[in-house]
Amino acid sequence: MKQSLLAAFAVVTGLASLTACSSPSSTTAPNPPSTSPAPTSGKVTINWAASPIANVGIRKQLIQLFEKANPSIKVNLISQPSSTDTNRASLITEISGGSTTPDVFMGDVVWPGQFAAQSLAEPLNKHFPASFFTRFAPGLVQGATIKGNVYAAPFFMDAGFLYYRKDLLQKAHLPVPKTWEQLQSEAKTLVSNKMVKYGFVWEGASYEGLTCNWMEYLTDAGGQVFNAQGKPNMDTPAAQHALSFMRGLITSGVSPQAVSVFQEPQAMNTFNNGQAAFLRNWDYAWANSQTPGQSSVVGKVGVVPLPTFAGHGARGYACIGGWDLYINPHSKHMAADLTFINWMTSVPAQTVLASQYSEIPTNATVQNSPAVRAKNPVLSIVGQTNLVARPAQNPYYAKVSTAIYTNVNAALAGQVSVSTALSQANAQLASAVGSSSL
Amino acid sequence: MTRRLALRKGIGYLVLIAMLLVIVAPFYWMVITSFKTNGEISAFPPTYFPQNPTLLQYQQAFYQFGFGVYFRNSLVVSLVSTFFVMILAALASYALARLPIRGKAPIMVVLLMISTFPQVGVIFPLFVLFQSIGWLNSYQALIVPYTAFNLPFAIWVMRTYFIGIPKELDEAARVDGASVMTTVFRVILPLATPGLFTGAIFTFVACWTEFFFALVFNNSNALRTIPVGIALFGGQFTIPYGTMFAASTVAVLPVVLLVLIFQRWVVAGLTAGAVKG
Amino acid sequence: MRVNKLDRGYAIAGYAMVTPALLVIALVTLFPIGYSIYMSLNAIQSTYSGFQFSFIGLHNYAIIFGIAEFWQSLGFTTGYAIVTVVIELILGMLTALALNQPIKGRGFAVAAMLIPWTLITVISAQMWGYIFNPVYGVLNAILLQLHIIGQPILWLGLPNLAIPSLMVADIWKTTPFVTMILLAGLQLIPTELYEAARIDGASAVRVFFQVTFPLLRPSIGLAALFRILQAFGLFDLPFVLTQGGPGTSTESIAMLAYKALFNDGEFGPGTAVAVSTVVLVILLALVSLRALRTQVGEVES
Repeated sequence: MKQSLLAAFAVVTGLASLTACSSPSSTTAPNPPSTSPAPTSGKVTINWAASPIANVGIRKQLIQLFEKANPSIKVNLISQPSSTDTNRASLITEISGGSTTPDVFMGDVVWPGQFAAQSLAEPLNKHFPASFFTRFAPGLVQGATIKGNVYAAPFFMDAGFLYYRKDLLQKAHLPVPKTWEQLQSEAKTLVSNKMVKYGFVWEGASYEGLTCNWMEYLTDAGGQVFNAQGKPNMDTPAAQHALSFMRGLITSGVSPQAVSVFQEPQAMNTFNNGQAAFLRNWDYAWANSQTPGQSSVVGKVGVVPLPTFAGHGARGYACIGGWDLYINPHSKHMAADLTFINWMTSVPAQTVLASQYSEIPTNATVQNSPAVRAKNPVLSIVGQTNLVARPAQNPYYAKVSTAIYTNVNAALAGQVSVSTALSQANAQLASAVGSSSL
Repeated sequence: MTRRLALRKGIGYLVLIAMLLVIVAPFYWMVITSFKTNGEISAFPPTYFPQNPTLLQYQQAFYQFGFGVYFRNSLVVSLVSTFFVMILAALASYALARLPIRGKAPIMVVLLMISTFPQVGVIFPLFVLFQSIGWLNSYQALIVPYTAFNLPFAIWVMRTYFIGIPKELDEAARVDGASVMTTVFRVILPLATPGLFTGAIFTFVACWTEFFFALVFNNSNALRTIPVGIALFGGQFTIPYGTMFAASTVAVLPVVLLVLIFQRWVVAGLTAGAVKG
Repeated sequence: MRVNKLDRGYAIAGYAMVTPALLVIALVTLFPIGYSIYMSLNAIQSTYSGFQFSFIGLHNYAIIFGIAEFWQSLGFTTGYAIVTVVIELILGMLTALALNQPIKGRGFAVAAMLIPWTLITVISAQMWGYIFNPVYGVLNAILLQLHIIGQPILWLGLPNLAIPSLMVADIWKTTPFVTMILLAGLQLIPTELYEAARIDGASAVRVFFQVTFPLLRPSIGLAALFRILQAFGLFDLPFVLTQGGPGTSTESIAMLAYKALFNDGEFGPGTAVAVSTVVLVILLALVSLRALRTQVGEVES
């Protein structure tokens, strides 16, 4: 039905195109069945869609190195918007529309559930041997696995870390905090001694980043979003403890009320301006805080794994973020796509990512390499962090996350009580994973 | 009498100055920020004038992000679309305003409906359509939809002005034996310049600022337009205010220039006062 | 007889003049709109070989009408549209009247007036985000320096502040649109009408209500109509400035459709939201046209 409708319309508009502007461009037109003798001898061009990675040069340098190593494949970079949601919207439109480009795309680690359910990504385990997946650090492949199929190859990962002002802690003779309670009291001390304007800044705005922050506190407190039976489980004493603590950070004056509208850039800038003693942020925050001209705290910053609640183990959980490489199921160059992904996750490529651009490699060999670890303090502590993934193994993750961050944010802003926020979140989670919701 | 006129003029000036201040202040802030360094941009309290004025953000926009290409593409797409819209809309709106054709009301309502349809609702089918006729990554992939989606508004605007022009003018031309085309181009259009100008400038601006079609239909870097180009700045966790505002300041220039060049058209309508026939 | 023949000639010319525009519009827009309506009547499953449709009638509409979020975003969008359009009409009218006088630097003023409209919406949203920023935003800085506030205000942090903040950004950007339409309309009013009224000794306010306003009605109707339509399509501004938050208090109906289509891949309900908005807005537009007595049909003048 759909095919015939489209075909009929294509004929009509085809006529119109004769009278309209110039001839169609050839950029995306399928390659004509070439008359050249052996297709293998020809050069294949694949399109790689990727949003800007922290440093603008990364994508181009990796492509150059890849092309050098694989002279028969050319890679054309399609630069995608830096906004993750806009990026995803354009990919969904193109791929569900049946487009053969991009061939390979860089997507968020929380996308596999949805992309698998909507057939927007090719299962990689159909093409790669099982041995391929052993190169990745533990837990990462699992995050891209839906119902036994692996839909993406981890490209570079990210996690939450605690950044702190070495100079301030030293001056006040305070140790680096190991628990949230300790962090709160130290921050309070620093603020009341007028050594710094704000104690602790983090990402509390109503958006995906708050879900990440929430996962860390919730897991530290021993809670989960869904229980073992897959039922919403956010209305529990553990969740109560976590959210009360977060709200308490604000009411006790340790965090400014403004954290309830902070995303990464605002939290980062506050810290870079020397206005905060502690910061929860991702891997990039290290390089960002050490760039003269945009940071006034160069040389004064330390980084450690996130703390946990007192009595809940040695260190806290860090939410996994980062980006995977996916293949468009309609790609006409599957072999070249696989070669590209294989190379991008190999030791040479991952070493470039880590040692030149300070991204956290997903390749376990590179992640554990002493040379890479020595590169910067974040890379040296990655191995010590406890990682927690967001509940993204289902097709409804976007709705799940919305249910979490809108309600947690409402409690942070003081619009609703902690217990109301949690029971509302639970109800919305239930309808998110059920059918018929928006 | 003259005192009252002077008073009215005085009030007019006051209103204008107040409005201009309100309008210009945020824009001033944007422009000023584009000349600051990244450190100064996030300083608090902010500086009301850049302490070390720099062109770094502009350099970054043009050299590192290739803003020049986006600028050229936007210019081509917007100018060509506006041209098509103006020609088609001038003819159609005259006919809808004056000529004895049937079904005017339904036509106007359908036009209204089309201009209402949210972009998110049409983008997917259009993508599939353009893909099947090989139009993705081309200028026409933007020019044709921009023309089509901006026509209804232009027709509505221009028709409103045509109706406002006294009918006797057409009739006089008719009696003189002028053809419909002559009437339109020689008699009506010159009188409707403010309306034409409004239609043209809004079509141009709509094309100039359109984001979603441009993002999805043309994903080759050589064919990206300004709004999409700017969205590719920065990284996942950074908002490159300086570079974005630099690019945006440059992007405002063509429209301001257009208005300044064609201001006589707008003023013409006033001094003419000639719409008496 | 001769007149009839002439009339028929004009009618033929009329059809010939309307057809090209209508053809272009029909070719590009009718298919996607029709297709969206078709999608909204189906359950849609995306598979490797494309979409699988199964016709379910109005079920998608039943789904969305049963969801509180739909009504909430509809309520927000409607209220938002009414408030912003009314304010814009008043401000736009004042500005247009001021600009309609033979004053110096008029061209420059018109150019300056248009600047906000020409900004790319996403950028102007970022600009306002930068101004409203709770930590280093200039608005708080000014208010703090003038001792109007004691501590920084979270302009976008609470619903009762975020909605007006959003409105300010929107009014700033779109008032020029209204001004231009009204200004062009004002210029069609013959100056001798004013002169006559003035000779009669009518006050400026009376001249406005008895001469200007009635003659300007079509322009006001036009401006109101298209601004309402645009306001109902509100998307870029909250998408960048508030992401629909805090909570879902600034989630517009277009954002809801976007979220359903592109975040959640709910093609059926997503297009149902889009289509039902259109139907609603058309009804609203027709009602407001009637209220403003702007003629659409053949009966005018």
